[in-house]
Amino acid sequence: MSDRLPTGSARTDDATTDVATDGGTRTDDATTDAAADGDAVTAVDPDALLRVEDLRTVFYTEHEEIHAVDGVSFDVHEGETVGLVGESGSGKSVTARSILGLVDEPGRIEEGAIYYRGEDLTDDNWDAHRGDIAIVFQDPGGSLNPVYTVGNQIREALRIHQGLRGSEARERAVDLLEDVGIPDARRRVDEYPHQLSGGMQQRAVIAMALACDPDLLVCDEPTTALDVTIQAQILDLLAELQREENLAILFITHDMGVIEDATDRVNVIYAGEVVERAPTEALFEDPAHPYTRALLQSIPGRTPPDEQLPTIEGEVPTPTGPATDCRFAPRCPAAFDACTTFHPRHQSLDADGTDRTAACLLHDDTHDRTPAEAFDGTDGFVQSDGFGESGDGPHHTGPHADGGDRS
Amino acid sequence: MAGTAEDGTMGETAGETAAETSGPADPRQGPGGPAADSRRSTVLPTNSPLLVWAGIGVTLFLLEAGAFFDFVVGLLADTAIAAPAPGPVTSVKPTVVDALEGIERTAESLPTLLSRETVPNGGYWTGQGWEGTFLGLSPAVSWGIRVALIYAYAFAWAGWALLGYRLYRREIRTVAWSPRDDMVDRFRTHSWGKFGLLVVFMFVVMAVFAPALGPTTVEENMRNSYSYEMQYYDTGADEVRTTLIGEANLDSQSTGSNSRVMPFTYDDYGRYHPFGTLPNGRDLFTFITAGSRISLIIGVLSVGLSAFIAATLALTAAYYKGKVDLGSVLLSDAIMAMPQLLLLIMLSTVLADTWIGGIYSGAFILALIFAGTGWTYMWRALRGPALQVSERQWVDAARSFGQKPRTVMRKHMLPYITGYLLIYGSMRLGGAIIAIAGLSFLGLGVAPPTPEWGRAINLGQDYVTTGSWHISLIPGILITLVVTGFNALGDGIRDAIDPQSDTESAAAGRGGGA
Repeated sequence: MSDRLPTGSARTDDATTDVATDGGTRTDDATTDAAADGDAVTAVDPDALLRVEDLRTVFYTEHEEIHAVDGVSFDVHEGETVGLVGESGSGKSVTARSILGLVDEPGRIEEGAIYYRGEDLTDDNWDAHRGDIAIVFQDPGGSLNPVYTVGNQIREALRIHQGLRGSEARERAVDLLEDVGIPDARRRVDEYPHQLSGGMQQRAVIAMALACDPDLLVCDEPTTALDVTIQAQILDLLAELQREENLAILFITHDMGVIEDATDRVNVIYAGEVVERAPTEALFEDPAHPYTRALLQSIPGRTPPDEQLPTIEGEVPTPTGPATDCRFAPRCPAAFDACTTFHPRHQSLDADGTDRTAACLLHDDTHDRTPAEAFDGTDGFVQSDGFGESGDGPHHTGPHADGGDRS
Repeated sequence: MAGTAEDGTMGETAGETAAETSGPADPRQGPGGPAADSRRSTVLPTNSPLLVWAGIGVTLFLLEAGAFFDFVVGLLADTAIAAPAPGPVTSVKPTVVDALEGIERTAESLPTLLSRETVPNGGYWTGQGWEGTFLGLSPAVSWGIRVALIYAYAFAWAGWALLGYRLYRREIRTVAWSPRDDMVDRFRTHSWGKFGLLVVFMFVVMAVFAPALGPTTVEENMRNSYSYEMQYYDTGADEVRTTLIGEANLDSQSTGSNSRVMPFTYDDYGRYHPFGTLPNGRDLFTFITAGSRISLIIGVLSVGLSAFIAATLALTAAYYKGKVDLGSVLLSDAIMAMPQLLLLIMLSTVLADTWIGGIYSGAFILALIFAGTGWTYMWRALRGPALQVSERQWVDAARSFGQKPRTVMRKHMLPYITGYLLIYGSMRLGGAIIAIAGLSFLGLGVAPPTPEWGRAINLGQDYVTTGSWHISLIPGILITLVVTGFNALGDGIRDAIDPQSDTESAAAGRGGGA
């Protein structure tokens, strides 16, 4: 957010020229690396069950445009669990709603495409694929209409997607409730949502989603409202359902612990942008983006008990315009001058070029990495030992440490 | 409506439960009762409470079946007469009307317990006793018995409905508690609301049984009083004579202190007037009962239409938001900006001579105009709650699995605003009754001689300071009472729906602005 910086306006002017010159140098000088750096990295697997490409969802309020989702790309393959993790306000839920076509006025999907089995949903194709993608919301109580019985609501979905009515639908609803582990389902099916506990409600909501017979289940913070033991049960249930039905799951959460338990691959989202994507294990072993690193450090279990738990100061900015800088820069302990003038692109961090990327200038050797004086001593820094000025991961910094070609 | 949708599912589940009584033991079953035995009723001391309940209902209906069919057929016939002939096939209409009138006559011949034929009060004194009245009792007592019977009958229906609700709640429904129970229970402890319900109930009964309640009929006493004869006892000549009702009315006028027939008195022709007579000698009570029917019909029709328009628009705008919402705001603001009274006067004058203006003495067109101009107030009250419920997750959940927009609105959003509809509907109904009375008072609105409360006040306003003060006072008090009743009912419903009304912050609850 350049306008939050003391030298904002001056720098924005620089930025345009910087980008121009930079773009020029890149096309001229960089060779194989540059090709991989560009669109090739952000492109997603065309065979994926769900492909989200450069999704931009904008909300138009009276005062400003809010770019809640600003160029998000990722994919989900059949039968795998992909995580989408970020702080509150980073655009996770809007991404989920965009995928399901639930973006209401004053919001609009302005750009990008959402391919389900190769078909672009943003061409108003949602109705053709209703039920193929089902969603489980955060607040289980809220997803169930309090004036109807649980069975009634499951039958509603069954009628639409499986054409079942009457006693047939009722039997199927009981089966579904049994599948999601609700004991005494035959009695529970006639109960009202308020008669179920939070965990049971979430199971009922999952049953409702399964009634649509989906291939992809979008779980928008499905465990956040539940206590830890119930959380574990719901995660187990989801894993089991995934095995049985070959479900693909898009798992949206702010809880890194849940991500570690439940997902195969992760996309870290910050201020409407994916800043890092990686296989879960690799991400936890060796986070590439300073934001990811900060997120991991703030998990209580990962810090020695006698040390103070590091936090990320400040909050997620609300993007009100196209990105001209790194949106994490004001909070980033590793930020340098170029971070405020150049919008980082995804850089491949892997040999094969697509599996692991991060959008950080630390991994882009085309930039000068002198520490940004403008930020010294200002708030927004994590004052923690783990963070050097230019990133502490030797694997990443090593080859690029002085690789800037601009002087 | 929400209730219907839910009741439908309830019925379904109830049926299934009955079919599998041998299943899991019912916790509410009486102690010691074998599982195969059907549940023992806690409401009625019988094994088949539903059957008994249905039996009571059928019996109650049969008592008045004649009047019911008479009413339905009469309504159809009136509509057929009033409606314009459909195209060039003009020969069809008379045939239809004839057929309907034939059926009407048959319906009239059906026996009815609470008719003026069964309990007559229009008799005459013979010098020794009353002739033509119920069991030879005086006209006042006969009339009193009929009124008491009618209200007893109406309360029997109310009791029957209450019994049905308790049966449903205790015996049929599978769940022990539903959120709606709390609303009913809260209303039961709300004295002001119960007072409103009682007043509204009495008013509705008066409107429904209007033809049987009055000591005489509108047709005989007002519309065609010179076509009907009556017998009376001439004290001077000591004999029973016959005269035209119109002539008798001329001698029964209330026009000040010298000539008047006060409430609860007989006139010179031995006719009993519970509310006295009008300045033109007609019976005020008959006038009031007939007027209550037309007030209620206009009120219910206009508020019903308003509610329908308001709810549809509020739900559509809340569902689609954005431009649709903006459009509805502009539309309602435009309509609100028009002066309602001026529009009413203008339209009722312009449309007075058209076929639509003739339906029910102009009441129908009045209801339409009231609905067309009045829905905006209801829509204002509904818009907020509708927008609120559209943000609820279950609406998104329903949308996400592909429910049709119309079904989402009806099934998942409408139940949430039904409470507001009831509150504002009840209050608007009182307002509509005042508005109709106001128009009649100004000499507009429902065309004479069809009775309307406001006209009674207008007719009596010259005599307010004289001995005939009852003409304006009685309808005035009744209007006040009925409107208060509707408002009290609305208050009661609001507090019943709002769970926070138990605590002290009732004003912050739902419909707090009502």
